[in-house]
Parts: sequence; C-alpha cells; structure tokens
Amino acid sequence: MTARRIAVVSGGLGQPSGSRLLADRLAGATRDHLLERGVDAAVDVVELRELARDLADHLVTGFPSPALAAALRTVADADGLIAVSPVFSASYSGLFKTFFDVLDRDALTDLPTLVAATGGSARHSLVTEHALRPLLTYLKAVVVPTAVFAATDDFGADDADVALGSRIERAARQLAELVSAGSRTVPDDPFDAPVDFERLLGRLG
Amino acid sequence: MQFGVFTVGDVTTDPTTGRTPTEAERIKAMVTIAQKAEEVGLDVFATGEHHNPPFVPSSPTTMLGYVAARTERLILSTSTTLITTNDPVKIAEDFAMLQHLADGRVDLMMGRGNTGPVYPWFGKDITKGIELAVENYDLLRRLWREDVVDWKGRFRTPLRGFTSTPRPLDGVPPFVWHGSIRSPEIAEQAAYYGDGFFANHIFWPREHFRRLIELYRTRFEHYGHGSADQAVVGLGGQVFLHRNSQEAVRRFRPYFDNAPVYGHGPSLEDFTEMTPLTVGSPAEAIDKTMGFREYFGDYQRQLFLVDHAGLPLKTVLEQLDLLGEEVVPTLRKEFDALRPAHVPEAPTHRSLVAAARAAGEARAAIEVPVAEPDAVVAR
Repeated sequence: MTARRIAVVSGGLGQPSGSRLLADRLAGATRDHLLERGVDAAVDVVELRELARDLADHLVTGFPSPALAAALRTVADADGLIAVSPVFSASYSGLFKTFFDVLDRDALTDLPTLVAATGGSARHSLVTEHALRPLLTYLKAVVVPTAVFAATDDFGADDADVALGSRIERAARQLAELVSAGSRTVPDDPFDAPVDFERLLGRLG
Repeated sequence: MQFGVFTVGDVTTDPTTGRTPTEAERIKAMVTIAQKAEEVGLDVFATGEHHNPPFVPSSPTTMLGYVAARTERLILSTSTTLITTNDPVKIAEDFAMLQHLADGRVDLMMGRGNTGPVYPWFGKDITKGIELAVENYDLLRRLWREDVVDWKGRFRTPLRGFTSTPRPLDGVPPFVWHGSIRSPEIAEQAAYYGDGFFANHIFWPREHFRRLIELYRTRFEHYGHGSADQAVVGLGGQVFLHRNSQEAVRRFRPYFDNAPVYGHGPSLEDFTEMTPLTVGSPAEAIDKTMGFREYFGDYQRQLFLVDHAGLPLKTVLEQLDLLGEEVVPTLRKEFDALRPAHVPEAPTHRSLVAAARAAGEARAAIEVPVAEPDAVVAR
C-alpha cells in the first residue's frame, strides 16, 4: 500500500471549533477515498490557535519559532492539504492568512489542496471562491473544484447535513484522486544542489 | 581570531528616557565607539551602510577615514557595503583610497541590503539583486587587480581603458567578506573567489546559518582554496553585559522590548534561547560565544552588536569595557588554544602582502634559471 501525508490547517479559535469539526470530516473522508485507491494516508493537523503568538512573532522577527517551523514543514512536505478557515469580516481570518503569509514562497507549488470555510450563516458561503481559492491559487497550489462551506446550521438540521455530507464526499474524492496520483515534484533544495558559480557568472552573458 | 563590533548606525529614541540623539550626536558616538573599541583591545570596527532614516551611515569610507586618523591598530570594515546599488567603480576607488589613508587597516563586507526602495532610489531593479551582486563584484575585483580594464556588462556603462585610482596599497586589494542571511548564491560566490563569508546570525536561529556556512565551507574546498575547515568565516553576535546577570536582563529589557528590529515580538527569554543574543554576565557571553565555535567550527572573526535600540553612548562604552576586559581576552585565549595549526587566521593587509610576495617569489623561482639563485634571494 502506498503511503501519503495529508496536512490539515485549521484556523478555528474555539475548542473545539467549527473549522476543526469540518476539517476532521474532510480529512476522514479523504482518508477513506484514498484507502479505496490503495493509499494509506497519515493526517497531520496544524491548529493555528496554538501558534497564534508564534505567528505574530514571526511577522516581527522574520523567523519561525521551533514549533511554527515544524508546522510550516508539515505543510510544505505534505502530499495533500486541507485548509479550513472561519469567516471573519467577510474573509478568512487574519490568523489563517498569517500562516500562509509566512510560508516559503514555493512551499505549496503543485500541492493538491482542498479549501473549506465555516461561518455563522450560509450568506458567507462564497468566501471559499472569492477569498480562499485565489489565495491558494496564488501560492501555486492545485485547488480541487469543490470547496466546502459549512454554516452553523449545517451541523444540526438533518437535510442540511445531507447536503453538507455530499459536498464533503465530492471534495474529498477530488482531493484523493490528485493525492493518489502523486504528481507533485518538490523543487531542489539550493543548499543540497548549489548552482555552480560559473553558471551564475555565465548567466550574465 | 579577530574580535570587534559592528554598528547599524540607527538613530533610535532611548525608551527609558524618551530622548532621541541628533544625527550629529549619533555620528560622533559611532566614532567614539570605534576609538573605544581599539582602546579596550578589540580588533575590528565595522559600520553599516544605509540610505534612509533612521540610519545615519550613508557614507562609510568618510566615517572610516576619520576613524583611521584617530586610531592606530583597529581594522576598519563595513557591515555591509551595498554591492548591488553602489557603482563598483566607486567602491574600488573609495576603498583603495581608505587603504592608503589607513595604512592597510581596511577590509569590507559585501551585502545586498535589506531595504527594498534603495534599489529604485539608485536606479536598480530589486528582482536582479543576485545578478547585480555577481556582476558588480566581478568587476570590482578586476578594477583592483588589473591596471587597465576593458569591460562590458549588463548593469553599468562599459569601460574602455579605465584605471581605477588610487591603485590598491602595495598592489594588494583589501580582503573581502560576503555577508548573507539567506542566499546560498552568496555563500557560493564567497567560496568561488576564496573570500570570507560572514553570517550575521544575530536575529535568526542558528540552524539556518549552519546550512549556509556548511555550504560555503564545502564549496570553498570544491573550488580549491583549501580544506573546508580553512575557509574564512565570520559571525555576528549581540551582547548586553553586566557582572550581575539579573541586572543585565533588568537593564536591557526596555531596549529589547522596543528594539526596532525585533521589539514587540518574542520575549527576551525566548529570543535569547533561539538566537545568539546574550543578556547576562561576561561568563555567559563567553559560554555562548564558545558555543558558536562548537556549532559552526573554528572561525576567524566575531563581531558584536552593542550600540543599537537607543542605548545611550555611556552605556555602550561600559559594554565595551566589559567586552574588552572580561570577555574577549578569555575568548581569544580559548579560541587560539583550540584552533588546529592548519586553520588560518583571517587575512590582514600584512598577511596578504606577505602572501603576494611569497607567490611572486615562487613564480620567480620557476622562471629564473637554476644557475642564478642569487636573483631569487635578492627579491
């Protein structure tokens, strides 16, 4: 059985948060779809609440604490990403954005990614399309077509949950397909494969 | 082993008094700090180069020329000289002039700068930072080594039959360090030419710098300048000292908490844990600095930052007394005792002149027929 790693970034602040509940359902569904494809996926969750101070410090100092560095590595080294933010003032939360602000510029290149969000009401449901998707696309991630938005009501009403459940299934299947294909190539580490200086000189032409 | 101080030249309000020094006060304070560095037995004074407030040192060779006249022994250096936005012709001229005035007590550190708008202010494209550093430095080397230069490149107007004056003192250009906090290309550049590599690791965790320095050392050997442990490495450091460790923390905390570079972020305790910053007793500073050697290998130059974040001159001078009397003598002894014989000291003008003469004699010995050995001796 092939092994893959799924990183989950949850920007929720409650304990437990709606974002984390949604993230866990998405991660579980993705694991199931990967298992059907003969892929055993390990899931690593990054809870941004625990890194709130470290993220603020990184903005100020320009370097990550050991805990934040580990979280950034978890995401950069993953075969798939599930990114979930609560909606704050018509967009992703500042904490969620900060995590992506301090990621290395190429950390998400070609990374299969599922975006999702939670909010108080369904009025925010397009936040995945006008905020999360452009952000992840800018970072060169490959974002699956189905994004998942869950309003508070979706965690209650039976019929609403059916609708949410089917979206989760579809999004997870799309992510699992990309992850199992495993086409992501991680760029060379310049420290491991330095560019010969003659080439740097020669490039000047 | 060389020990010294490097200054950013920031004009910062003292957070404990609310007083901001004038530019004149800050500039004169930098000179006083340099003189004090020599007085307490340090080897190097290096100034930054900046072109925007709140920094004053826009014209390093002017300042260093003045310091040269007021000192006898101190090596005058930079941290850094902007190889990206300065004209390499002017760097060649300015530093050769300084060499003559300072009787050779000069070296310099190349850097790309950390203030984006400096590029457009000087008519350069920031996205070409590495290419500028590569082309400009290659030209700078030629200007110092070839009496007449014909040159054409991408970033400055061509040169035909150009001679940079004055020629380097004794025909030997100043030793060059390359400073980088991020770019493997700069470590590669330093290694390619067999120049020094300076890792100013004062604001960042050491793991990152170990990779940069290891890359430099490996490539230094690759390019045939010696073994990896003979590569010429310099490190930054940052100390605030008091004989009583807790008193050091109490006095430095307001400066740390409000420091322009890292203030309002991590706690002093976390930052001390993660970076080379030492706030404590001379013994603690000695321990931490000896730790750099264990982590990065034997190295040649240690520069400390002691005068930023609004610390008043009086405090800085007290810091230099402690550094010179209680930290550096011990470090010097320990480093010298631990360094293997085959690991060199940092080059100085005197050692470079000696090396050039030796190389000249070696060449002459090959060229001169065996029948005339006196000719070799006569040189």
